[in-house]
Amino acid sequence: MSSSESHAQEAHGHDDHDDGKVHVHIAPAKFYWGIFGALVVLTIITVKVSYYDFGSANTIIALLVATMKASLVAAFFMHLRHDKLFNTFAFLSAFLFLGIFLLLTSDDLFKRGRTDNAYGTKVFTPTGEVAPGGFQSAMVVPSASAGGHGEGHGEPPKHH
Amino acid sequence: MSAKGGHPNFLQHHFDTPAQQFDASKLGMWVFIATEILMFGGLFVAYGIFRGNDAEVFFSAHQLLDKKMGALNTIVLLFSSLTAALAVRSAQVGKRQQTSLYLVITIACACIFLVVKYFEYTHKLHDGLLPGHCFGHPWFGDKCLDHGGPAQPLSVEGLPPRANMFFALYFAMTGLHGLHVVLGMSILVWVLIKNIKGHFSPEYFTHVDLGALYWHLVDLVWIYLFPLLYLVG
Repeated sequence: MSSSESHAQEAHGHDDHDDGKVHVHIAPAKFYWGIFGALVVLTIITVKVSYYDFGSANTIIALLVATMKASLVAAFFMHLRHDKLFNTFAFLSAFLFLGIFLLLTSDDLFKRGRTDNAYGTKVFTPTGEVAPGGFQSAMVVPSASAGGHGEGHGEPPKHH
Repeated sequence: MSAKGGHPNFLQHHFDTPAQQFDASKLGMWVFIATEILMFGGLFVAYGIFRGNDAEVFFSAHQLLDKKMGALNTIVLLFSSLTAALAVRSAQVGKRQQTSLYLVITIACACIFLVVKYFEYTHKLHDGLLPGHCFGHPWFGDKCLDHGGPAQPLSVEGLPPRANMFFALYFAMTGLHGLHVVLGMSILVWVLIKNIKGHFSPEYFTHVDLGALYWHLVDLVWIYLFPLLYLVG
């Protein structure tokens, strides 16, 4: 099974020893400190950037910096860079399915009516009538057709 | 770790070689990490939906969070990730005492994180910024409903209605994360005890490696939590 030699566990990189022993890439301690330094710099950047307003790009910038930090942690602190590639696939597949989850959920929910600020019910913005799938309010919702206030349908508002 | 007939003690009977055992353990841990990402992901999707619906509400409400405490917690967790990685490295080169030292520092950083969180949470309780129907009533150890009637939207800070949704998400996400911090600490304490007893060597450091991987996951989640809750309006 195993060769009789004992190998010193030094920083070889990828060895193809067939002796069945565990061989890992061991980085120098300074390298980990360097990655930590980069992470701190990215944190400072993300905090400073948050004080400026880039409109709708705010979220994207924040997520971009966060992903850079996460990549550093995953690749080097969690050793994915020098590990079997399949571990990286397992890790990334979680984000892939999360993306599908977010995509399909938002595609459904954001195609419904907008929230009416006054009453908190979901209404179609052009007409103002209550959207299907939105919750009803006991308060009066002005209807699209002129004249006549309709009664809200039953339930008291569930939100607080 | 003396080998009997070429078989190390730590090698379990259903594995052929230590390398195969180590690879299997690692893969198992990564699959578990994937499930944890999906669990937190559920809350992140909820955050995305509620924020998409009520962007202005989120913008007003998130300013009540203390950015400085959040940033401090971020640095503390990043540092603890560093010491966890250094602990694994020390185990890989067989330096037992150094491994223990780095594990202790990591656990200490986790305690600091929880203390800062404690101060944040108590501040929220005193301000009445609680999730759900308690919103608007400062918590003095009584049931909030005893203050008379359902809670009104908080008007002291001039928060718009439905601001309690932000705090519901805040407590759920940071609470679940805090629970994982406690779990990660327990795992690291267990690994520390095993290390002190001398169970690990350059040939067998799996516990340290996988325990540190769990801790890095906790850090990863916070890396995303911090900007989305504290920084982005």
